[in-house]
Amino acid sequence: MNDKHQDLVETMFPSDGSGIKPYEWMISPTRQRQWIDDKGIFLWLAFFFSEIGAGLYFMSLFYSFRPGIVLGWLITLVLGGLIHMLYLGNPKRAWRMIMKPNTSELSRGIWIIGVFAVLGFLQIITPGGFNMVFNFIMGILCLLIISHGFATMNVIRALPAWNSTIVLPLSIISGIWVGHQLLQLMFAISGNAAAASGMEVWAAAFFLAYFLCMLLYAWGTWHASGAAKAAIQRMLEGDLKQITYIGVGVLAILVPLVFTLIMWGGDTNGFLIFLRLASVCAGDLAIRYLIMKSAVYNPLI
Amino acid sequence: MPRWGMVIDVKRCIACWGCTIACKEEHFLPPGVFFNRVLIGESGKFPTSSKLIYPVLCNHCSDAACVEACPTGATYVREDGIVAVDDEKCVGCRACMVSCPYQQRTYYDEKVKDREYFPGQGKTEMEIIGEKLYPFKLGTVIKCNFCSERLEDGMKKGLTPGKDEDASPACVNICPVGARIFGDLDDPESEINRLIMEKKGKQLRKEFGTEPAVYYID
Ligand code: SF4
Ligand code: SF4
Repeated sequence: MNDKHQDLVETMFPSDGSGIKPYEWMISPTRQRQWIDDKGIFLWLAFFFSEIGAGLYFMSLFYSFRPGIVLGWLITLVLGGLIHMLYLGNPKRAWRMIMKPNTSELSRGIWIIGVFAVLGFLQIITPGGFNMVFNFIMGILCLLIISHGFATMNVIRALPAWNSTIVLPLSIISGIWVGHQLLQLMFAISGNAAAASGMEVWAAAFFLAYFLCMLLYAWGTWHASGAAKAAIQRMLEGDLKQITYIGVGVLAILVPLVFTLIMWGGDTNGFLIFLRLASVCAGDLAIRYLIMKSAVYNPLI
Repeated sequence: MPRWGMVIDVKRCIACWGCTIACKEEHFLPPGVFFNRVLIGESGKFPTSSKLIYPVLCNHCSDAACVEACPTGATYVREDGIVAVDDEKCVGCRACMVSCPYQQRTYYDEKVKDREYFPGQGKTEMEIIGEKLYPFKLGTVIKCNFCSERLEDGMKKGLTPGKDEDASPACVNICPVGARIFGDLDDPESEINRLIMEKKGKQLRKEFGTEPAVYYID
């Protein structure tokens, strides 16, 4: 069997049974592929980087920490933006979305990122940039960018696992949690141990909120509908279970919990903060991957 | 202006896949791409189970999820109710594909374009001609268009869609048992409106609120 033949067989009868055979198609819960398989993987990364960049920017506003907003701005625009372009394949395509600002959640997101780019740049270069008005506007923009990825998914009624009300709080808290971790590491690296230690009190609160949102998401989705439940079942028992147990159970929950307990009371050190950050980032990537990969459509008949 | 719609009589359908093939031929669809499918399923449990046969295609929804999701306005509802894609505006973001509860859209990329019906033996003349006669734009999303070209050409000749073959969708023409009825949903006298009223036509997955223009009767 040559490569082309192999490709055709894989197209018609994929190993996961979700093939496009014209007769056995959408008669059982069918998984979403476009926004996670092949080039769709770029969207997963683009949403993640936009979120953590905006999270870092958001947290830095509370500490008037310029290097934090510069790095957050760069991560959101360079990494987030670039990977979005890789998905679309051509910058001109993003331009066409900008030209239709009111058509959909995606085009509104592109606009928000555009406004964030301009106002963020102005805040970075303005000497008195950390004033109330600027901070307030940028804070709102950061929250919108953090939730942009999941908001885009949340409006898709066809996928009940994405259409859950807890998806937005989960994305906001995860962005703030990862942003907090990044900022804490920046403080630790720059020798500002007091600020890094002072931030630890928030680490426990954000971790707890993040953990509760995850639980609520799983519980709410399980009880929402048949297709939503099928998504959670795929995470817990199906082909995705290893990512769930290692990525979410260990990296997103257990390891950060252990480090948070070790650093309880502000007893922080740079290395532990780094290890917790690495684990939190990997865990957050795993959660996003699972939510995107596990979503299934209701069967048609 | 008419609003085109279709009624499918699932009791009549014998699952011959004529519509699936006629559609592939009409639009020169590459391997693995279907604008029309006939789904075979089951309901109930043995010994009282029954076989379900459902021909499916784009529902040309009047409140289409794909239109709502499209960030460029490339997907739109035409005045005659047909949901179309303007490939000049489409950026291939696939929001429409993800949003369609009926999964009636296909992303047309190199991988799809390069598929051969006889793998490893090159494209047949039919495939080569098809790419010229019915070109799809790379990096865009394609879908059923209710054979809008046939409808428009036929109407220019004074023919009536749903009645005259030259003005009707290929899947309707091929159906050997007349399970597909095409017509104007806005005309209270039309055959399809009569069938929908008399036989209580149902839309597939009505709960998504997309208002499909394809109705099923049994
Ligand atoms: S069936 Fe899907 S692709 Fe067709 S109009 Fe409805 S939502 Fe759009
Ligand atoms: S892929 Fe094209 S038609 Fe579909 S939502 Fe994106 S721009 Fe619109």
